[in-house]
Amino acid sequence: MRDYWLSKLFFDLQSPALGAEFRANRQAVLSRYPLDERVKQAIAANDVPFLAQRTNPYLLRYYFFATGMKDDEFIRRLNHG
Amino acid sequence: MASLVGAFAASHGPLIVREWQRVPPEQQRRMSDAYRELGRRLTAAKPDVLIVVSPDHWSNFFLDNYPAVCIGVGEANEGPPEPWMKDFPHRTLAGHPGLAMHLVDEALRQGFEPAVSHRLKLDHGSCIPLWRMELERLPKIVPMLVNSIEPPMPSLRRCYDWGVQLRTAIESYAEPLRVAILGTGGLSHSIGEPTMGAIYDDFDKETIRLFSSSEKSLIDFLDRKLPASGNGSEEVRNWLVAHGAAGGRGFELVDYLAVPAVIVGCGFASWRI
Repeated sequence: MRDYWLSKLFFDLQSPALGAEFRANRQAVLSRYPLDERVKQAIAANDVPFLAQRTNPYLLRYYFFATGMKDDEFIRRLNHG
Repeated sequence: MASLVGAFAASHGPLIVREWQRVPPEQQRRMSDAYRELGRRLTAAKPDVLIVVSPDHWSNFFLDNYPAVCIGVGEANEGPPEPWMKDFPHRTLAGHPGLAMHLVDEALRQGFEPAVSHRLKLDHGSCIPLWRMELERLPKIVPMLVNSIEPPMPSLRRCYDWGVQLRTAIESYAEPLRVAILGTGGLSHSIGEPTMGAIYDDFDKETIRLFSSSEKSLIDFLDRKLPASGNGSEEVRNWLVAHGAAGGRGFELVDYLAVPAVIVGCGFASWRI
């Protein structure tokens, strides 16, 4: 399953400018994407398994890399929530 | 007429750049030697044009429109967009529109339907091997982006057939160009899925062995084993394109080593043309 807008957010965050804005004001960036409320909660909670079911694995990994999560922690959350 | 003068493959994992300092010195040495050896062989082949076969890691395409195969037909393509690739020495890479459009036309004539782009961003998939091969002079680059990132992907058989077809197309191009091909990516790795970090050493070694067997044996094996060998292993499609172009005659393995620090089974190959 692909959540288009979640995937679009992750894709767009590859832009350094948008990435910087996201780090400075996450809510402002999120407000531009028509994300389901449950998806917004999962982003806020770094709920990796939930998000993993809704986007491409490369985009998922990119997003958490860009937000500063170390690979070890990312893998732990992928497997154990 | 143009001719195929070389076919090569090399891994391209991002951590080869981003986490290079974490790679143990002996593995650094082997990887550097392997890239340089491919660079030496490529240089010795004196190519005018290099067809680089790589996936697009979400640098050009999105869910709106993700082609199975896209050929870059522009005068130039852009260097890697990833910030951590900022030291790559080329911001633009010259293309070869004449050969590229000929490859597209011949493909269409033979029942293959590539997308075309007049300006691509060539991400780390294309540029890490070009960088690490330490080429003094970069040939003109014709990019061929093959989807191995987002399902549905072109079949393995289709990728091999693409290579066969490319060879025929190259050899029907009127200019006396020397053309080489470089498949990038693989071998096994796993990205953004629960097995992330796994390297399937046995899968890699059997894949390498079967490249010297019939393409049917190779493709049958990959069809069975790929789904459980890490999503990054899907990039073996690019090796199959090079294999088909080289006539399926098998390659000389320059080196293979599983490198946990870059979470990739790193392979380096040079085909017998």
